[in-house]
Amino acid sequence: MNHLIRGRPIAEFRRIIQDPVLFIGLILVVLFVSITILSPIYAMVEESLTEEGQELFDRYLSSPVYRNIIRNTLEMGLIVAATGTALGFLLAYIQVKVAMPFKRLMHITYLIPIISPPFAVASAVLLLLGRNGIISKGWLGVRYDIYGLDGLTLVLTLSYFTVAYMNLKGMMQALDPALDEAATNLGASKFRIFRTVTIPMLIPGIAGSFLLLFVEAIADLGNPLVMGGNYEVLSTRIYVSIVGLYNTTAAAVLSVILLVPSLLVFMVQRYWISRTSVVSVTGKPTGTPQQITHPLVRWPLFAVGICASLFILLVYGTIFAGAFTKILNVNNEFTLDHFDFVINGYGSEAMKDTTQLAAIATPIAGLLGMIIAFLVVRKKFMGRAALDFATMLGIAVPGTIIGIGYLLVFNTPNEITLPLLGTIEVIPKLTGGRAIFGGAGAIILVFIVRSTPAALRAGVAALSQIDPSIEEASISLGADNIGTFRRITLPLIRPAFFSGLVYAFARSMTTISAIIFLTTSRTKIMTHQILNEVENGRYGNAFAYCVILIGIVLTAIVILSVAVGTTTGAEKSIEGGA
Amino acid sequence: MANEQVGTLVLENVSKIFPQRDGQGEVRAVDNVSLTIHEGEFLTLLGPSGCGKTTTLRLISGFEMPSAGRILLDGQDISHRPPNKRDMAMVFQSYALFPHMTVFNNIAYGLRIQHVSRSEIKARVDKVLDLMGLHNLGERRPNELSGGQQQRVALARSLVVEPRVLLFDEPLSNLDAKLRVQMRSEIRNIQRRLNITSVYVTHDQVEAMALSDRVVIMNEGQIEQIDSPEEIYRRPVSRFVADFIGRANFLPATVEAVTDEQVTMTLLGHKVTARAKFAPAVGDQLTAVLRPEALLLKSDPNLPQAVVKQAMYLGASSEYIVDVDGQELVVVESDPSTEQIFREDQMVGISFVAETVHLLAQ
Repeated sequence: MNHLIRGRPIAEFRRIIQDPVLFIGLILVVLFVSITILSPIYAMVEESLTEEGQELFDRYLSSPVYRNIIRNTLEMGLIVAATGTALGFLLAYIQVKVAMPFKRLMHITYLIPIISPPFAVASAVLLLLGRNGIISKGWLGVRYDIYGLDGLTLVLTLSYFTVAYMNLKGMMQALDPALDEAATNLGASKFRIFRTVTIPMLIPGIAGSFLLLFVEAIADLGNPLVMGGNYEVLSTRIYVSIVGLYNTTAAAVLSVILLVPSLLVFMVQRYWISRTSVVSVTGKPTGTPQQITHPLVRWPLFAVGICASLFILLVYGTIFAGAFTKILNVNNEFTLDHFDFVINGYGSEAMKDTTQLAAIATPIAGLLGMIIAFLVVRKKFMGRAALDFATMLGIAVPGTIIGIGYLLVFNTPNEITLPLLGTIEVIPKLTGGRAIFGGAGAIILVFIVRSTPAALRAGVAALSQIDPSIEEASISLGADNIGTFRRITLPLIRPAFFSGLVYAFARSMTTISAIIFLTTSRTKIMTHQILNEVENGRYGNAFAYCVILIGIVLTAIVILSVAVGTTTGAEKSIEGGA
Repeated sequence: MANEQVGTLVLENVSKIFPQRDGQGEVRAVDNVSLTIHEGEFLTLLGPSGCGKTTTLRLISGFEMPSAGRILLDGQDISHRPPNKRDMAMVFQSYALFPHMTVFNNIAYGLRIQHVSRSEIKARVDKVLDLMGLHNLGERRPNELSGGQQQRVALARSLVVEPRVLLFDEPLSNLDAKLRVQMRSEIRNIQRRLNITSVYVTHDQVEAMALSDRVVIMNEGQIEQIDSPEEIYRRPVSRFVADFIGRANFLPATVEAVTDEQVTMTLLGHKVTARAKFAPAVGDQLTAVLRPEALLLKSDPNLPQAVVKQAMYLGASSEYIVDVDGQELVVVESDPSTEQIFREDQMVGISFVAETVHLLAQ
């Protein structure tokens, strides 16, 4: 009997081989993930373990300066994770459970930070609350030094709370209102329900958001560069090691130190939190949640919600205003010079190139995410958990680490030497060039690698909601795997595909940490140029870049929604259904 | 290998083994099942949940591959042929309609895969829409249909491709009771009319009895009995089958005499003779199966006496649970007239129709 068990994966494997397209697809996906995600990470770890690297490990881990940097990184990560999750929770709770006006508008403002070009929020906050800030000095008359942990906490919370907000809002909406009703029916007060039902049911979501924000915060490079001041964290130190000191080994060593907490959190999230989820999505709402109307609860929460909205609008308004004035708060004269600089001058090539590279990466990332989701959810084969895990590493690993890995792997042509045939160039040098054929291939790969995980998760979530017998029905009627994927699966997960594409494009346009080491003077990338402008204090130009960047992303969303569609075609009839 | 199978679809010693959830050990979902399904036959796999009937159907359809054994279609080994190459169509429990397509496109799906011409698709889909009483619904989406209509579309979608074998996976279990009875007879009529070889899975014994030419009773991955519905009800081969199909009273009996295949014993104070399919010896302990409707109640002090423990009047019948010397028996009296209705705690005489006694070895 034992041989039968062992025979099972082989039988499944045999089944995959029987469909050559599926088989080749699987091979290609595995190859792609190995080359673009695993090999750079491996190269980086390998670099850190050289003799020189090991010496650096010893030195860094015993040096008070570096210990301080590591402590700063973790401290910042924990604080941002806590404040971001708390804010996200509060705003989600207000949206779902509290009756108040302007809810929809507030919701929209909370989504704005999704498209935040790096440095935009930090620069705007500096202008508002910095040493010569419009609010701090102008209105309040205080000379407040915002550089450091407090400023970082503010801008990182503002940049990332949306993740926690969306996550927790979704979970709260999925909570069966019958639970609240049952608790009320048993005599519990609203606060008691909150304490004994709502919070415990949401623990996995809260913990998940906390960990996600922690990873995002410690991986962030743009904000600490602008806002950090003397408060140094690992990501900025890695940046300095490469850009200032040209010491790849030192950067690799520091990256490995940064990699440890990131991966640890990723594993906890993946193997512990996701297993303890108690929220069940049945798709059958049993009632509408009871809204809280008590004035003493309602109006303070309303104040919190509206303040968050107003602050976001203020920050983005500053970006917008800054782009159209000579020097905001100094010379508030209207001007289009900054836009002229970006569109017709120095930034024009970057604008075209970045959009082009992102536009190439977006469909690949979106489709790749859906295909891997399909393989992982629907097909049985050895190593499908590993495939999912490896793909997720693309985002679980901080961007700086991916960047250094790419620098190590793709900065020179990859060659293999074969007998008789001699040396063959397998992968040419992919960095340093301008457009795709000029050698900017690595940047496209980084865009893909960083965006595919989000598409994958969206695809997995959507697929899990679709009864597998719908696909089996298609196969039973004679369609093969590819035909079924194209005609049935992909149309049914279209909303996930769409959000995957939008995310991929937005992420690609705004990414900085992963590509900053891969650009040269010939590679023109908008985010990199924004950094230059910010570093030189030309906020007007930086804000103009940001406004254009946001405009490009919004335009792309419109184009994608027309081209791909945001619905499956099955929704309309649900509303008007019999 | 000599190919003497005459069936359309043949399962030869088929087993399916799954590893257990915890990774330790294994589950024999289907255990050495052999089965021959004839041309045009309607065969039902019936059993409690977890008996292996759905896995058997999925092995036939190709959604699972057998761990051992062979599956033959028209004499060809299809054990490892992918499901889309098997010329079978499946009707799913959840209907599995494509929610993003209209009814017409759902039904046309299989024909488009076969690259049938546009005009022929139109003709064939219209014909099957007509057959299923779905005309005018072609442009609707599945969500705009009632449960019964969805079920019909699912059936139409499978019928239109004219498969060699039609497979049903508990297709009626999501319908309400009345619709289920209606769809049941529709399925039967269409299957007869088109003469399509069909394999049907259900856990509903009435459904199985109503639809099938033959019923396969499965238990713990194995076949307990294959027979016509009548044969299975009247002559179940095991206590499990007798208990699963309909209701049964089991009475212990001691063999008193055996002549030819006729066994004589005493049941409820009556000496009876019944045929046994096996060869018992005098003194053997047997089990006699008596269906509730074979037992008769009568106010007659000369009969063995029973106490009525529970009486339920159901309109077309009355149902009693009576106690005879400590053993509880279920009795169903059809079309009860007023003087025949007994009350709880009443003493009644009990007898039975001797011809219906069926014997089991244990």
